[in-house]
Amino acid sequence: MATGALSRERDVREAYAAHSGELYGFALRSLDDAGLAEEAVQETFLRAWRAGERFDPEIGSLRTWLFAILRNVVIDLGRARSVRPKVAESGIEPSVEPLDEALLSWQVEEAMRRIGDDHRRVLVETYYRGRPYAEVAAELGVPEGTVKSRVYYGLRALRVVLEEMGYED
Amino acid sequence: MKTERCRDWRESLGAYALGHLAAPERAALEAHLEGCPDCREEVKALSGVAVLLPHADPERFAAPAPQPPADLGERIAATVAAEGKRDLGRRKRRRFQLAFGGVAATAAVAALLTLVVLPGSGETTPEQQVQFASLPSGVAIDATLEPHSFGTEIHMYVSGIRSGTLCRVFLRGADGSRYPAGSFRYRWGEDSVAVLSSALDLSRTEAIGVHAGNRTFIAPVDQATVSVENETKEDAT
Ligand SMILES: [Zn+2]
Repeated sequence: MATGALSRERDVREAYAAHSGELYGFALRSLDDAGLAEEAVQETFLRAWRAGERFDPEIGSLRTWLFAILRNVVIDLGRARSVRPKVAESGIEPSVEPLDEALLSWQVEEAMRRIGDDHRRVLVETYYRGRPYAEVAAELGVPEGTVKSRVYYGLRALRVVLEEMGYED
Repeated sequence: MKTERCRDWRESLGAYALGHLAAPERAALEAHLEGCPDCREEVKALSGVAVLLPHADPERFAAPAPQPPADLGERIAATVAAEGKRDLGRRKRRRFQLAFGGVAATAAVAALLTLVVLPGSGETTPEQQVQFASLPSGVAIDATLEPHSFGTEIHMYVSGIRSGTLCRVFLRGADGSRYPAGSFRYRWGEDSVAVLSSALDLSRTEAIGVHAGNRTFIAPVDQATVSVENETKEDAT
């Protein structure tokens, strides 16, 4: 996409096709409500469209820009929701840290989905379930060294995917 | 530097970064790391990932990534297309608004807004015009609802409320449930026509509502002229 990436209607369609899944995933993770998540994604593309001329691909990717808009939308929706007594009786505005935590969680979970099944499997068994390597190896019918090497390549794959997703440590 | 021994150790570095190596193996690996900047660099990279793992919930990533509703893209595209078409009219309207800017900028939201629904200008068009009347001087809210195959397109015009106020719009169906139509932030001096859309069919829309600040205003969507105060439900016939 060239300068003014969202200045044409067709660009919005292309941007939607490319990024709506991720944006919706993050919105749902942080708002925990399908209706609000849908609203957030819609609002994000409309704001992007209205500000399309201001998008500068020299500064960052379209994806990064859309995520920055979505982050603001989520904050707005979170605030709007917090004034409803059902959700937050204290009336305290939601702070930004839980949102950043939600973004991080969503990124890591999404990266986990994208790495190979074999890699994800050994990370789940050894790390999340804390099972011994020998036991996992027996279950999978592979040598223990293979489990170890899959853990190594799994972490590397995860790093690559996170970098692709724009994660910076 | 890379040595033969690196190859032996390399694939243990993941388990090491996760703290999974038994003491003897860990000690032996650490002895290697001391003399091997390459492997140290690799451990650093893997540790950067390892510290992120606790943030992920394995139950969540075991499930497929959630997808937005299939028609959301169409609704957004339709809203964008409509907004593009209306650009000219919007600019005209803005000039009109600026002429009264002084009044608008000093007015606050009324405690109670009385909403009056007026019939659309052309009775034959399926478009619904909803006007919010009896507002304090300088405040104006009205909306136009258009039927589409994807649902309902809403053009909402707001002026004179506190700058920065978040306005969330929804439609209420005949069954009483709410369908979000999007939100916008009202700013002084900016274009204040918001184009929104909802999946709810106009023919099944009973009312339109706006949350502004912490208030909710609901207007029935029908042909009759009806007054409502705040969130009280009315039979619009
Ligand atoms: Zn080495």
